[in-house]
Amino acid sequence: MNVDSLKLPDSYYEHLAEIMGQEAADWARLPRAERERELTRHHMLYNTPDDLSLWPAELDGGVDRP
Amino acid sequence: MITPLEFLYHFRDLLRERGIRFAITSGMACVYYGLQQNTKDSDWIIEPADLPKLRALLLEYERRVPPWRISYRHIFGAPLVEEYLAAGWTSHLAIWPSAGGPEEHVDIFGAPPRVLPGSVAADEMGFAEPDLVAWMKRTDRDKDWPIVDGLARILEGAQMPEAALHMQQAAALRAIWRALPTAVQNTLLPHRPLLAMIESVSDDDMLQGLIRVERTIWETVNQERYRRYQHEWKEFYRRWKKEDFWEWPTPEPFSRQHERLVRAAKTYDLPVVILDEAAKEAAWTRGIERATLISGRPSATVLALAPSRGRMLP
Repeated sequence: MNVDSLKLPDSYYEHLAEIMGQEAADWARLPRAERERELTRHHMLYNTPDDLSLWPAELDGGVDRP
Repeated sequence: MITPLEFLYHFRDLLRERGIRFAITSGMACVYYGLQQNTKDSDWIIEPADLPKLRALLLEYERRVPPWRISYRHIFGAPLVEEYLAAGWTSHLAIWPSAGGPEEHVDIFGAPPRVLPGSVAADEMGFAEPDLVAWMKRTDRDKDWPIVDGLARILEGAQMPEAALHMQQAAALRAIWRALPTAVQNTLLPHRPLLAMIESVSDDDMLQGLIRVERTIWETVNQERYRRYQHEWKEFYRRWKKEDFWEWPTPEPFSRQHERLVRAAKTYDLPVVILDEAAKEAAWTRGIERATLISGRPSATVLALAPSRGRMLP
């Protein structure tokens, strides 16, 4: 599916605002190239990994715990 | 300095050049679909048979000038080997494509959870189709379910019947379902038994309650699946850690790390197959029992809503 050519109705973005918040819905309305520019700006400003924990939550804090 | 998105597209182009079959999924796919605002990690489904080509690519880039620094990450994961990834394990790499630049996290699936064999499909940009991402996002994390619903809306916007498989809102689901021809409905029913109940439940709130129970089933079965991998990996890791001068990940090149991890997996018995048919049956059954307890619904109702074991744990 090519998202660049996909046209979604206003009701889609209104629904996104309900389930994810207005900011997320506003972001979704942006053209993909603009979303990617925003994401890159965010990456440049906040150079942190997605997960800062040494062990993922799924390991309950690591293998050193029973 | 290369940005995470530049790296994503560069890595995609390299995979294409080498004839490695792939699809970009999870977080970056959700950014692509406008459903997630931020992620740095990239998740890749790679055809297991093409993993030797991927390892060759990594080794080549580790030796080129300027080199990539490539390392396994410390987290729960298996060697980047066909047998492990085909059996549902994942591998987790860190790549530094430029000296002094940020590390890129690359997570690799061979047989992604909840995705039927042979159904991996990517669009011309290399991203997994929304239907595939929606199956993968049926996890036990709350944050993933609005994304499942958002992907359903995108499928609806593209007039694809798979929207009915993922929609999480009762009224919208009912409307989509009623608009589908019977022949199409019949192709979807095996994937989502709840669809067969839509006409017998006239109240949208009641239907919403059933959708919530269905979600609980996906959550508990996923926990039962995941916990089996987690247990085996923890046991392996504890045995391995007892080696003299043990360190992981080591600072050595990826080629040496890979040999070390493959050897450790053999020596300290990291099982390849975690979910054989009996284990899948046990995980599915236990997940449904737990969903029954959590939801407080009669067991017959929960069982009637549960997708088949083959659909939940392919």
